[in-house]
Amino acid sequence: MKLFKYSIQITLAAAAILFATACDDKLDEPAENIAITDSTDYSIAENMISPLIGLYAEFNNKGWEANPLISVRGDDVNAGGLGDQQDFAETDLYNYNKDFWMYNSAWEGEYRDVITSHSTMEQIQLYADKTGNQSLGDQYIAEAKTIRSWILFNISRTWGNILVPTSSDPTELLAADITSKNDVMQHISNQMDEAIPFLPDMNPNQRTDIRGGVTKYTALAIKALANLELKNYQAVADATSQIISSNKFSLEADFYELFKIPGKLNNENLLEMQYSDFGQASGDSKSYLFEFFGPQSWTPKVEGAGSGWGFWEPSLKYIKFMLDRGETVRLETSVLFTDRGISEIQKDPNYATLPAWVSNTTRSGDVINDYARALFASGKHYLPSDQLTPGRTTYGTNKNFTCIRYAEILLMHAEAITQGASSSSISADAAVNLVRERAGLTAISGVTNEQVMDEKFAELAMEWGTRFFDMVRLEKYNELSYEGRTFNADLIYLPYPQNQVDLLPVLKGSN
Amino acid sequence: MRLLLSNLILLLFSISVFAQSSTNITGIVTDQSEMPLIGVTVFVKGTTSGTVTDIDGSYSIEALSNATLVYSFIGMKTQEIPVNNQTLINVSLLESTTGLDEVVVIGYGKMSVKDLTSSITTVKSEDLVKTPSGNVMQSLQGKVAGLQVISSGAPGESPTIRLRGIGSYPGHGNEGPLYVVDGVFYDNIDFLNTADIESTSVLKDASAAAIYGVRAANGVVLIETKSGKRNQKAQINYNGYYGYQVAQNVLKMANAEQYTNMALESGSAADEQFILNAMQRYGRSRINPNVPNVNTDWYDEIMRTAAIQNHSLSVSGGNENTTYSIGTSFFTQEGVLNMKNEYERFNLRSKIDFQANEWFTIGGNIILSNSTKYEPESAAWNVAYFAVPIMPAYDELNTAASPTRYASAEDLGYRGGKNPFPTMDLSENRIRTKKVLANFYAKLDLIPKKLNFKTTYSQDFTSQEGRFVDLAYFVSTNFKRTDDSVQKNSQTTTNQTWDNILTYTDSFGGHNFTLMAGSSYRDETWNYLSATGLNFPSGLEENWYISKSKSKPSDSVNDDGRKQYGMSYFGRMSYNFNNKYLLYGTMRADGSSKYQEKWGYFPTVGAGWVISEENFMKDVEFIDFLKFRASWGKLGNNKIAASDGANSTNVVTTAIDGVLVSGTTTSSTYSSLKWEVTEETNFGVTTTLLANRLSVDADYYIRDTKNAVIDVTNPLIGGTVRKNVGEIRNSGFELALNWSDNITKDLKYSIGANVSTLKNEVRDLFGQPYIDGGQAEFRQRSIVGEPLLAFFGREVVGVYQNEAEVAADPVAVENGLAPGDLKYKDQNKDGKIDDDDRVVLGSYFPNFMYGANLGITYKNWEFTMNILGQTGNKILNRKRGELIWTNDGNLDADLAKNRWHGEGTSNKYPSSAGLRKGWNQKMSDYFVEDGSYFRIQNIQVAYNLKQKVVFGVKVPDARISFTADRPLTVFSYNGFNPEVENGIDTQTYPIPAVYTLGLNVNF
Repeated sequence: MKLFKYSIQITLAAAAILFATACDDKLDEPAENIAITDSTDYSIAENMISPLIGLYAEFNNKGWEANPLISVRGDDVNAGGLGDQQDFAETDLYNYNKDFWMYNSAWEGEYRDVITSHSTMEQIQLYADKTGNQSLGDQYIAEAKTIRSWILFNISRTWGNILVPTSSDPTELLAADITSKNDVMQHISNQMDEAIPFLPDMNPNQRTDIRGGVTKYTALAIKALANLELKNYQAVADATSQIISSNKFSLEADFYELFKIPGKLNNENLLEMQYSDFGQASGDSKSYLFEFFGPQSWTPKVEGAGSGWGFWEPSLKYIKFMLDRGETVRLETSVLFTDRGISEIQKDPNYATLPAWVSNTTRSGDVINDYARALFASGKHYLPSDQLTPGRTTYGTNKNFTCIRYAEILLMHAEAITQGASSSSISADAAVNLVRERAGLTAISGVTNEQVMDEKFAELAMEWGTRFFDMVRLEKYNELSYEGRTFNADLIYLPYPQNQVDLLPVLKGSN
Repeated sequence: MRLLLSNLILLLFSISVFAQSSTNITGIVTDQSEMPLIGVTVFVKGTTSGTVTDIDGSYSIEALSNATLVYSFIGMKTQEIPVNNQTLINVSLLESTTGLDEVVVIGYGKMSVKDLTSSITTVKSEDLVKTPSGNVMQSLQGKVAGLQVISSGAPGESPTIRLRGIGSYPGHGNEGPLYVVDGVFYDNIDFLNTADIESTSVLKDASAAAIYGVRAANGVVLIETKSGKRNQKAQINYNGYYGYQVAQNVLKMANAEQYTNMALESGSAADEQFILNAMQRYGRSRINPNVPNVNTDWYDEIMRTAAIQNHSLSVSGGNENTTYSIGTSFFTQEGVLNMKNEYERFNLRSKIDFQANEWFTIGGNIILSNSTKYEPESAAWNVAYFAVPIMPAYDELNTAASPTRYASAEDLGYRGGKNPFPTMDLSENRIRTKKVLANFYAKLDLIPKKLNFKTTYSQDFTSQEGRFVDLAYFVSTNFKRTDDSVQKNSQTTTNQTWDNILTYTDSFGGHNFTLMAGSSYRDETWNYLSATGLNFPSGLEENWYISKSKSKPSDSVNDDGRKQYGMSYFGRMSYNFNNKYLLYGTMRADGSSKYQEKWGYFPTVGAGWVISEENFMKDVEFIDFLKFRASWGKLGNNKIAASDGANSTNVVTTAIDGVLVSGTTTSSTYSSLKWEVTEETNFGVTTTLLANRLSVDADYYIRDTKNAVIDVTNPLIGGTVRKNVGEIRNSGFELALNWSDNITKDLKYSIGANVSTLKNEVRDLFGQPYIDGGQAEFRQRSIVGEPLLAFFGREVVGVYQNEAEVAADPVAVENGLAPGDLKYKDQNKDGKIDDDDRVVLGSYFPNFMYGANLGITYKNWEFTMNILGQTGNKILNRKRGELIWTNDGNLDADLAKNRWHGEGTSNKYPSSAGLRKGWNQKMSDYFVEDGSYFRIQNIQVAYNLKQKVVFGVKVPDARISFTADRPLTVFSYNGFNPEVENGIDTQTYPIPAVYTLGLNVNF
């Protein structure tokens, strides 16, 4: 009886133990909600564009600090935002602090886009291999190369000698050598030569697959920019000539609107970061943080529209330069005046009387109020409150951020020619006069290099630090020594961020 | 066959016992104060026959006239009394001061404290309920040597628990211990009501915890909920308290005058203008006409006195073959932040065990917990810190503001609004949690008293509904919230465990042993869904629905899920010879679907020598018990998040020509992890001395985390990837002393103390000299030979006092410094101050922690007090550091008062202008402060009403108590609160003092 009783118990126990052990194979179940890249089906042709759009998404998704840090040092613009981000203002004064957060943050943000470009190229090649559509793959890879080059161009202009990634794995850089700035620029030029044959031969706004995406002319423009840094003026003239001869680009007649909503994907633009609120009053919105550049206090025409942070102050030097030239639309478009700023200009007896149109009310009807942080605000980053989609109130929402435009191509072209290069398209005079004409200025002839540089100053101020890098390249350090600053050759490059030197000791002492 | 044989032997033995004549013995069992003890086990030595005392403490048992009766009760010394032909035996049990007679819960079983070879500390119910808190772990603070409890002041939030240092790289929620509640695994026990807990055992060393293998690397806390007792009349118990929380040690901020001085000395024209703007808007102070006529103490504005209460009602008891315990509890706690910030929890529980027949026992345990938490807008603490004192909270001049006329610093010229009230008033963060813990077991006695089989199934189901409502407001152009938004999320977590355990206990000769073997299957699933709606008719809560919203951003829709499986096999052997020589070993094989490497193996061995049982020690009278023990074991940490093991592809969206399109990005860095394994060696001594009045427990441990998973920053692109690249050692000494004595029959006292040391050290980084952590601006660096994540920067030696001093120092000249700037130490003496002069500035781990308690009982009065403290840890005062990003906010009064403002005014703090300079903002010990503190943790005064008759009516036994929890904390750190989890203080919720009145009644 007892034996029988125990056998029931033992059977039950044994059954339970055996049953439990049958669960071992569960350990190999895959994780949820993680798409392992290796299991991507690369034979689906219509997905080939996904990594490329992903790259454009990363390109558009830019931290607010990168552009200001790259561009603040010229004599066209001051840091503004007094009493805030002290070391940003110090950077404008050429007192660099490698521990300042913006240095590292901008560095990492820019390099992230470089690495994403590599991973995009690698993914697209896998699609091309599986789908057999190598020609489309080549185009997409060429687009990624172009974006990568634009980013590298900006990193190297800012920091000089840098590390150049060759794959999507950032740890390979731990053992890499520094590439000199000239080699970086040459590398960019070569990369563009590789990319150009595969890129669409059209204005970016003519693209139907990715409207506003990179084309052959974007690559030519970046090639020209890199060669300008190398002072390889003939290569600049050749690249710009190709763009000019294509007749696919033209200057927007309305300079004021070029930097606003009507200027999105304009015929003049060769590369821009795209944003949108999708025409909706609320909900999804992709936006750049334009508040940084905006006036800190205003009375907007459309009530409730938000103001900016008060950084990015056009310099008095620039404003006086423009007034001297009798500039109107370009000064109006580049500078937002406050009453305090206007009286500051007038303190100089030479400018006691200003043109009547100089006012703290913009053409669009927004009134810029006085605020302690700055005297002026940037007009090129300004979006009039009446251009905001009703319901949206954040400063600059729905506005694009232009990176390269045709005016710069024309002026680089003229610069190269005045430096001795020969043109296969239009003359330096013709190029400069196209720009002047649009600005409402009279034509000039026998244009000199100095006149071209003045024209660039007037045309491209407050944009991508063009003025600063031009003056550095031409060693016109006296121009950069303005409003109490003193510039010298030791101050050309920002120090590497301390965080990066700690991670990559090869950087130590390399710039 | 052996089974049959042993049964036969047992059968024969029992027959031989019953062959002799037996008598009925009765009696009453009481404690020293002659109170009857209920539920005392009385059994005949050497047999299985026994009974328990009833509500009057009386018992009745059949025994032979020459037998010996054994009386045992938890917390009392076990007594043996020979029958000697008596029929009435009344027994008075003595309190066990040592706890050596106790049985403690160990993983998948129980064990006598005497037989332990490992380090386990148990805290009993009566000590737990003294702390008014929603989380039982808070009650352990300062009571367990080696256990660091870092309080959280926010209602419903759990404290951070660290056992024996930190063995796993922090920041991923992988540092906490494993909680085992009645056999079910938890990472968080915030749903438990403290009064429902019978005991909490902290398994400190690897040997004790290794049976839990992969989950045990950070220590294990075993929690047993209350159950009924056999043959016990139903007991109805009410236990509750009501009280208030008052914020303590509120940080003094610079007042309007101090702030104005700072601004005027800043050298920033903009900041001076803001002061003028404030005077224009709010007028000038009549006391000092150069200061605006506002002086707002923002911390005072945002805080309140907050209520806390808990009520528990339970019924427990049992008959011959059933025990039960059923209860309910209700807990509410408000937060000291003056907004909808509170926590409410309603629990029901039931625990039943039923012996169906002599070989089959079945039982079930269910805990239902419903809670609602309104989370604080934590950022309010940070905003209040930086809010300028020259602005009021409300500004009648701000007519444009809606719905309330809040003041905005933007109107004074500042970039931000600097007013915490709009977000506090117009945000509501509600989380509703419903939790069911169900646990059923069946136990088969295969050989009575020797071999049994237990199968247990547990399920933990949690459903969490979050609703986060942000209502629109307008204060000034950039200080506004344009859209009303409601975000809802829903998460469900289901964890199932199925354990099968076979246990064999036997003894022959002097050999006593228990063998256990088992298997455990578990799966854990988690699902998440969330979406957001914008712009609903906001006034009524009925409209706070996504479906009533005008727009539903597609980017805000999210879902996620996780499923993990685990399979384990384990076994244990514990053996002693004559209770003198102890041997212990466990082995666990753990399989997990989480890592690329599926299986890990976790063995442990322990040995003990009870030297006081040796004959040569019999003459040493002052030693009652002395045991040496040593153990070694290996543990795994599966709280390390699953590694991807490969690059993953993620969907991203962007605008192309005004259309939202999606693409993919592919990660280029990923983690592929091996098991993080901890090895620990523990040496200990347990002794009781001087007639059991003094007990001592001392331990020394070395705990090495091998293959430690560390966040490694990616070069160039930032971000981190987890890699197995380190070895971390925690070592320390722990000592716990308890002394108790009776001075007279009415006056008893006890004193206890515990101390622990901790040394945390990075032993190896797989060839790298260091790994950087923390934020780039406030560097923390893990260096071989130094503590993990040590603060790393420059050392301040003083402040430049005058121009002559600046001119005389080439460093100052080269860097363009001025009087009032910090002077750093040239560590490498190269005549320059640069990054090579950075050194370790300290660690956030305390290297010494202590706790002590005093208890005095006089007649019906009880007084208890606990103190605790820690030293050796540093806190990064990141609030002061935030000046790097925005430098026009307020600062603490200590800095404002003691800033450098002229020769000889300070050699510690820079000038107001200096604070804004990059030179003074480099990571240095100016930001790193001493985090030591001392605290009176708990004082309780209680009066016991026992067997009182009032107006001829018997009043139920009751205990009335007054408790002051954390009434006093002493520290030098310039912050609210020295309990900063990761050592980086940005916005800690203040830890309030709690004053409560409590009542405990037994009906």
